Amino acid sequence: MSVISDPDIDADTGTETAAVQDDSAKRRRTLRKVTSYGLLVLFASFYVGPLLILIFASLKSLPEFFRNPTGLPESFSLDNFTEAWELANFPGYLLNSLIYTTVATTLFVIMSVFVAFPIARGYVKGAGALLTLYVVALFLPPALIPQFQLILNLGLFNTRQGYILLFLINPIGLIILVNYIKSIPRELDESAAMDGCGYVRFVWSILIPLIRPAIATVTVIHAIGIWNELILATVYLTDDDLYPITRGLIVFEGVYGSDWPKLAAAVLMLMLPMLVLFMFLQRYIISGLTSGAVKG
Amino acid sequence: MAAKTRNMFGGGQLARWLPWLMLLPGLGFYFLIGVGPSLATFFYSITDATGIRGIPINWIGFDNYDEFLFQGARSRDNVDALRRTLVFMVLVTTIQFTVGLVMAVLVNQKLRGRLVFRTLFFVPVILGVAVQGLMWKLFLRPGGGPMDSIFGWFGLESQFLAGPNAFYWVIVVQIWANAGFTMIIFLAGMQTIPADLYEAAAVDGASGWKLFKNITWPQLTPAVNTNFLLNIVGSLQAWMLFLVLTGYKNGTQVLGYVVYAEAFGQTGTSSFRQGYAAAASIVLFVLVLLIGMAANAFVNRRERKYMA
Repeated sequence: MSVISDPDIDADTGTETAAVQDDSAKRRRTLRKVTSYGLLVLFASFYVGPLLILIFASLKSLPEFFRNPTGLPESFSLDNFTEAWELANFPGYLLNSLIYTTVATTLFVIMSVFVAFPIARGYVKGAGALLTLYVVALFLPPALIPQFQLILNLGLFNTRQGYILLFLINPIGLIILVNYIKSIPRELDESAAMDGCGYVRFVWSILIPLIRPAIATVTVIHAIGIWNELILATVYLTDDDLYPITRGLIVFEGVYGSDWPKLAAAVLMLMLPMLVLFMFLQRYIISGLTSGAVKG
Repeated sequence: MAAKTRNMFGGGQLARWLPWLMLLPGLGFYFLIGVGPSLATFFYSITDATGIRGIPINWIGFDNYDEFLFQGARSRDNVDALRRTLVFMVLVTTIQFTVGLVMAVLVNQKLRGRLVFRTLFFVPVILGVAVQGLMWKLFLRPGGGPMDSIFGWFGLESQFLAGPNAFYWVIVVQIWANAGFTMIIFLAGMQTIPADLYEAAAVDGASGWKLFKNITWPQLTPAVNTNFLLNIVGSLQAWMLFLVLTGYKNGTQVLGYVVYAEAFGQTGTSSFRQGYAAAASIVLFVLVLLIGMAANAFVNRRERKYMA
């Protein structure tokens, strides 16, 4: 589903001339267009405004920010970015975030395909009950406290392994995979098996390429969730060397928070990779988030 | 049916168990860190568990619940937090639902630049609470911040997140961050409405508000219901923006933040009262369940009315 990017807009603008319209209908239409744009610009200002002010702030010196918190910067200087980068351990934080996100997402997706496939096909007994178990999870109480006790007693508190362990599940992701696999014809399994293809090889080299769209969707939403996670990073990690970028940013705010331009630069540095990623992957992001909502 | 669902890969003893073997890691982790801990919350809520390794855990019955809801000044704060959670839910749900719907109607028209607007409204959803929160914290800085100087143009004054209305400013940020998600679900619903319905109505001379009321709104029932439920359940459980924007101040928080703060020593006393916090999280869970069920019943009745 591509909700944002449907390209039919320009095709439709020419059709009005075909219809015969009286003046009042035309006037009403113009009025509606003007009102729509007025409202859109109003809404948009809430979104563009804070972003622009953040960008402007990141280019100002602290005294300039206090003198002029909203306007354009007097000169263009990236000093805040370089200084923020050097002041905090941002390269380390970014590397940690990358490690957590890639390792946990890869493990989760591979394990999940092997869970989703037999459930979707009924190759294991009680497949229906297993699926229900994943759906029900969306309505259970939060696992936060017993999870903490578990990690603590496993001796995994404040370790990379312990933190990654927390991200090896995602019921919505699994449900997306099951639903997609159901749309792959079963005859494929049969003919592959007939040709002597083994179970693991079938899943790995035939099924996975076929369900790439679903895998992309699940990968993207799972990875975004890990990348943005703040609470678990606050609960489970106490060592600055292990912090992901979100936690690092909050630490940076705690220490340099009164230097607003530097904080603005740091926030932008964390935000830009996500914005770039969104531009390229918005189809998968949106389909993942909405299918989770609609089916869950 | 049995023949159809039989696994036909390979024939040996091992091959027959392969689907199970390969499924076990994923399922095992799911039990270990998902379902298991979720259910264990009930168990911890009747113990005096702390967050310190090695201290024995004692069964103390329903003392945690009693203390949380009925004992002393702290329980009055907790009941206030419960009430505040409900206010948060009502305000966030109604405003976010309305804003998301208006946005969706606007960007569903054949207007130039609508894709830019859609993207713009949706982007905050993927940024995460750290970025969302810090961005607004800077924007709302009291005493000479950007919003403060904008307020100044109109002769207004506010302490924003440091003042008595901090709670409402968090609501503003919460809606700002998530309205795009509501919009996208409405938009997906609108794109499934057949265009000929509108064409037929337009031939009959209907336009504007009439079209919305008689076609869009009833046809949108599934999306309306999804958004209604998601907004309710989501806002009851939301608290992370409070962490970034205001921090924990006793007596100003929603229930979800109380659970976290009590469990992880953020209340100012630095003791990890995890049994107590587990009880609080069950209270929140029951609240979500009851309100969610009521909302679901309402939604089902609506569905019968419109989709019949």
